[in-house]
This record gives sequence, C-alpha cells and structure tokens, in this order.
Amino acid sequence: MATGVTSVLPIHSTYLVDEPRFPFCKGCGHTSVLRRLNEALVELQIPPHRLALVTDIGCIGLADGLFKELHTVHTTHGRSTAFATGIALADSVLDKGSLKTVVLIGDGGAMIGLQHLVHAAVLNVDVTVIICDNFVYGMTGGQGSSVTPECFVTATTPAGNIVPPIDLCAILKASHAPFVARTLATDPTFPQLLQQAIAWEGFAVIEVLELCTEFAVPANNLDGRKLRDIADRNGWTLGVLADRKDRSTFVERWKEGVVKGNGGQVPGDEILRPVGKVPMLKHAKSVILAGSAGERVQSSAGLVCGAAIAGGLFVSQKNDNPVTQGSGFSVSELWFSPEEIVFTGIQRPDIVLITSSDGLKDVLSRSFLDRLDSSSVIYVDDSLPMQETKGIVHRFPFRRVLGAREAALGALVFAAVRQHLVSPEGLQEFLRKHYRGNVDELFARVDCLQETRTEVRA
Amino acid sequence: MPQTPSHLPQSFRLRSGNQMMAEGALQAGCTFFAGYPITPATGIFKTMIDLLPARGGIALSAPDEISAIAYCIGASMRGYKAMTATSGPGWALMIESVQYALMTETPLVVALVQRLGPSTGGATQGAQGDVLLAEYCTSGGYTLPVLCPTNARECYELTILAFTWSELLRIPVILLSDKETGMTIESINDTSLSRSTSQNRPANFAFRDLGSYNRSDRRGTYYFDVPHEIPPFAPVGGDRKVTATGSAHDKQGRLQKNSTETLDVLKHLEQKIHWRLDDFVSVVSDLQPSATTLVVSYGVTARAAQSAVIQARNTGERISLLVIHSLFPIPVKKLTHALQGVDTVLVAEENISGLYRSVLERYCKGKKVRGVNKIGSMITPEEILVALFEEPWQPA
Repeated sequence: MATGVTSVLPIHSTYLVDEPRFPFCKGCGHTSVLRRLNEALVELQIPPHRLALVTDIGCIGLADGLFKELHTVHTTHGRSTAFATGIALADSVLDKGSLKTVVLIGDGGAMIGLQHLVHAAVLNVDVTVIICDNFVYGMTGGQGSSVTPECFVTATTPAGNIVPPIDLCAILKASHAPFVARTLATDPTFPQLLQQAIAWEGFAVIEVLELCTEFAVPANNLDGRKLRDIADRNGWTLGVLADRKDRSTFVERWKEGVVKGNGGQVPGDEILRPVGKVPMLKHAKSVILAGSAGERVQSSAGLVCGAAIAGGLFVSQKNDNPVTQGSGFSVSELWFSPEEIVFTGIQRPDIVLITSSDGLKDVLSRSFLDRLDSSSVIYVDDSLPMQETKGIVHRFPFRRVLGAREAALGALVFAAVRQHLVSPEGLQEFLRKHYRGNVDELFARVDCLQETRTEVRA
Repeated sequence: MPQTPSHLPQSFRLRSGNQMMAEGALQAGCTFFAGYPITPATGIFKTMIDLLPARGGIALSAPDEISAIAYCIGASMRGYKAMTATSGPGWALMIESVQYALMTETPLVVALVQRLGPSTGGATQGAQGDVLLAEYCTSGGYTLPVLCPTNARECYELTILAFTWSELLRIPVILLSDKETGMTIESINDTSLSRSTSQNRPANFAFRDLGSYNRSDRRGTYYFDVPHEIPPFAPVGGDRKVTATGSAHDKQGRLQKNSTETLDVLKHLEQKIHWRLDDFVSVVSDLQPSATTLVVSYGVTARAAQSAVIQARNTGERISLLVIHSLFPIPVKKLTHALQGVDTVLVAEENISGLYRSVLERYCKGKKVRGVNKIGSMITPEEILVALFEEPWQPA
C-alpha cells in the first residue's frame, strides 16, 4: 500500500532527526536495528505522517526521540503491541486504513505482554512488531529474561540460567501470525526482511537477536560472532518462518462479519406506550418471584413488567442469581407503582411467589417470610414444605399444571391478574405480541389453576 | 417530581442501567468498545456488541482487561471516542493503563460497575467499595473525574456527560456504577432522554475559548500557554506529528527528567480539571430551610436515602438531602452550600468504613458527621431512618 504512492510524494531520504545521537552503549545492536529500520522506511517511501512508531519500555523504547516526523507513541511495559492494536483497529475499520503501525519491543516486554502479541497475531491487524531480543533486561542492569539461553550468566542467574528459553516465534506461529521471521541484527538479509514485514498487510513479527554489550557480552565471554552459535544451539532457525498469504486481515473479516451480524438490535428492546389513562393500582406493590435458574424466572418477570408499563405503571425488576447462570435459584424482586419508583429493594413484600425448592431456599435464606404481615400473600407450589409465617399462604400445583418451563410465568400471570397489577386483557394482548409460547394454552392452564386451588392457612 | 405515565404521548422501555450506559455511549458518539466479560458489567459489553457494529463502530472482545483498555486508548489516540467497562477485579488490571491515558491526555470513558470485594469478592453482590480505588488509582494521586449514577436513566445521561468531559479535558473519566444500578431493569421514559446530536471527535479540536487552533507542529503534542489550558488534540496518523508518552515529558512530549517544564506539565494535569471545577459539578441538592440534618449519598444508596428523607418529611421532620453524581473532583461549593445551618451530616454508602465520608469529613469542620454503612445487600430506607433518629423507626 505505502509503496504505491511514491511517485506523487517527495523523496524521503531519511526519517531520522538531523545528526541523530543514538543513546545506546557502544556496539549495542539497537543502533543497527534503528538504522536498518530507517533504511527500510526510505526504501518503502512511507509518508512520515502515515506511520506510527509504538515503543515499549526498555532501551529500545528510547527510539522514539530519534525519528523526526513519524508519529511516536511511547507506552507502558509490554503493552506497546496492545496500544498499537487499538490504533490499527480504529484506523482500518473506522478510518481510511492509511496508517502503518510499527512496534519496537524488547524480549522482556514481549514476555510481559505476550498475550498482546498473541492476540494481535490472531486478529491479524496491520501491526509490525520488531522484537529486539538481547536475552537480558539491559536498562535495569542485565537481569535474565524468559528468552535467556540456558547456562547464560546474568545479574539474576549468576551461576548460569537453569531454565530453558521460550521460543517466541514458535508461539506466534502457533497463534496464526501470517508473517514470522527471525534474524540477527548483523545479518545482511535483515533490511530485506524488515521491508517485507512493514509492507505486509496484516500482522508481521521479526525477532532480532542481539547481544547486550554492557551485560551479556562481558558476563558470558561473548563477541558478535558467537550470536549465530547461540541461535544454533537453541534451535532458533533464522529466516522467514511463516509466510501465509491465505489469512484474511481483521478488517476484511470484520466487514464480512458485520454484514452477517444481528442488525444492531438488542433482544427485548421494545417501545411500550401506556394505553390505559388510569393505572389499575392506586399504591405501589412489591412482588418476589422465586424459582430455579433455567425456568425462565427473570424473563417471565420482564414480560409481566412490560405489560404493566403498557397498563400505565412504573416498574422495576431487580434480579438475583448465584454466580452460575444455569443452576440454583433465580429470583426477581419487582415493584409495580403508579408513581416513579425511588427505592428498588423490598423489605416486606406484598406478594411472594415460590415455584421451586431453589426459590424457597433463597426466600428463606433472606428472611423474607419473617418480615411478612397479615396483608402479605404467598403463592407457593404445593410440592414445597412451608414454615410458619404471618402472611397468608396459598398452595397451587404450579409445576404440575404448568410444567417446569412455565411454572414461573404462569404463577406470575396468575398473581398479577388476581392482585390487579395488570388487567387480564392487557396482559393477554401484551403476551401475544411478546411471548413466544402459546398464550391461549398458558391462560387455559392458569384458569385451571384457579379451579384446583387448595387454600391452606399455615 | 414524579411523572405520571398517563400524560400521553409518552413511550417507555424496560432497560437496565448497563443497557442505558451503552445507549448513552452511542448517543455521545462512541465508536469503539473493547471489553472482557465480568459480572456485573457484562451487560454494557453485550449491548455494545449488539448495537455498535451495525452503526459503523467497533465492539470486540479482548483477551483480558489490560488488552481491552489498551485497545480503547489506541483507538482514542487514533481519533475515535472509546469506552470499556469492567468490575473490581478487572479494574485492578486496568489501573496501569488508566494512568497511561491520564499521562498522555487521552480521552477515555471507563465504566466501573462495582461488586462486593476485596479480590474476586461476590460477583452477583452489589457494593460501593471501589469509590476511593477509582479515584486514587494513580501514582501521585491525580484527580480523575468520577461520575456516579443512581438509576438507569442517569446511567444514560451521565455516560453522555462522561464523554463530554473526557473529550473536553482530554482525560479518562470513570463512570462508577454498581451491580444494582447496572443490572436492575426499570421503566425508562424514552421521551425524556436527551437526544442532542453526537459527533465524532474532530481532528485538531480545542476549546473555543482558548483560541489558537493553527499551531505549527513544532509547538508540540502537549503544548499549553497557561497551565489550565487543554492542548489541542491531534490524532496519531493525522497530518500533525504526535509525540505521545507515558513518561514524564515536556510540552513536546520529549522524555525529560525534572525540568521545570516537565513539572509544569505534571501540574497542568491537575490544574486543567480544577480550573473547571464549577462547570463539572453534577449534584441534586434537595435542601430544606432550617433543616439541621443533611443526608449525603450517591449511587444506589442515594435512592434509599431519598426514600428515607421523603418518609421523614411526611412526619414533619426537616431534613436536607444532597445526592452527588460528580463524586470527584469533590463538589466543594455545592457541599458547602448544603452544609449551611446544618449540625449533623449523615453519609450513607454501601461499604464498611465510610469511604466517601472519610473524604467529605474535611469539609465538615464543626459538624457531627456520621455514617450509615453496610455490606452484602442494599442499605434500606429504614436503616437510614434509624440512623437519622438513633432509634427504631416507627412510621407514623
């Protein structure tokens, strides 16, 4: 992409500042990496304001001050790839996709931010990561990193490193990175690889092996010629390790996915217009609906609340369940009110509906029954044992008549009509529009409930 | 004032606070959302996934909270309004990057939907225990704006406000919600929601009152003439070079160690918000003349406080109520005004030690300051009434 515009733009002979002073130790590979990076950019003729150089913490992170017109973003340790991914995502999907994003990171940053590298590879965003791997944390005094070779002497492994180094390229190759290469900072093919990686449409990574002249070299009696031996000994193949043209970029897949998406709807989002001018209720009433997860307790509460809004009431629905979504209790605390609801909690419920033993356990654990008075009404499935309470207990065969799937909805429909929270016609009309089940059959079963009820004072 | 739905034409919807936060973000022009699932904040993430892509934006899953917020900051630096949402455990992971957004003056909105802590605590239990963790999460204790809604409608309105301030101040703004505010579903009067036109962030945008837009590149990414001035925003990838850094820097974004200019830039991070303190304030002052007690609350507990105050007033008591939406920076003028003539201050919040009370106390010299505190479930109006009268409350 970037190379295609060279003919209309002035030639960029360098991207570095005038008389650059590289802040690295004598002989450090970082200077060479940055010179090669500059040469690659000159070769590609990328317009300077169309490249973001995102740098990590560590010596290589000092690079941002050396480039004159490029955008530079100096980040926190290990997170450079993640910030770059955000820039690239926004650029490719929300903007024109005209920006190249290049990350400079060390081996320490690559490990602390490994998940960011992995996810950038998986997403295949247009980010090029240059990992400057010199086997140690140079800026803090030469401590060992996760890529330090075995037996290597560092500040934190004075007797030699006793654990094997990770293979960053293998990890990223396994993460579907379409372009992966490993090279030595001094290798003559490095400039060519850099150009290839930056020009790559999508995620590209180059691991550049270097020697830290300040710490690694003196502690391990090394010189530049031994770098290739270290690579050989660790089985680190040099050259292009992955070159996958088959992978689509994130933005390509995103555009396909959005077309196939759900059309931007949120389930259950309906405009409800109050139809009756006078709400049925004169005073607010509270309802506890307690049942089992998976038995549509909270969705049933939502349906009846919707019908109540259509009937001119304000409602609130406070749900509770254990950490798991599909097991244990499921409870909705509901308010139906002719005025706006201030406090959504319920201390003394007017109506308690219990449709399963999970629901009963939760109601008991929260001492709702202890706080009831003689005006409170409890509708409980007749299979459940009930304790003494001041409320009036009505037992109904909710589960037997309605089945587990509709026990909660049926019980709430029954109670809402009986306690005049909603009009039966309004509720029926609302459910016909919003409930996927058979509304006629539901109401027939609820009617049947009334006929078979057994009222028992506990 | 309670509204009655009988005044047609009005339209209502049943929405949760989490859903309304997502809608507020869309209304504010948010085009980028990256999230990681966590109860009780997942509803914001899910609603953004449902709504945003079909409207031309991006909403996507990150592999962890650190990536989620970093993607948002990157997108914001590229010039697009961004938001993420989390709860206590995820917030702990995001703090590093919130500081980065603060230091790089990158606009960002983070919804922190509180649950019971510490550690993983209680995923489905509400709490107001993160109020100081949200505010004091930076090394150096820099002020971060914290906005706190009490219901689903305010989740919408305050999210819009959060974006406004985030953009104007170039700062991360925290929306401090909680499990009950976020997950409770309420009837929302759709007709009453603000629908002012949202817009994308313009490149090179600056406060109108601050003049000079046409600065040359040489004046730098973080340039200001006076400390409270907001440097004009330029996107990474735009025509003006950006030099962004999370390290201490001069006005051009160059790494500096303790130069006068660098220290000025650090002070500017604080001054830019305090200079606009009065504009930023959002409180509901429900004060009664000759009241000697002031109830202060925020978030979900403010609703219990409101209910308690209504009940007490119905029996002839005179009590003032201050509900604070803009928790930080502390709305000192509004607070001082509410404290006039008052001898007792009661601060109600769902945490053990009275976190926000500990901050308010320094402004309440000479007053008796007490707390209503609890964990595990919502504070009830009755509990506030008991604290008010220091005896069991008997409704008249």
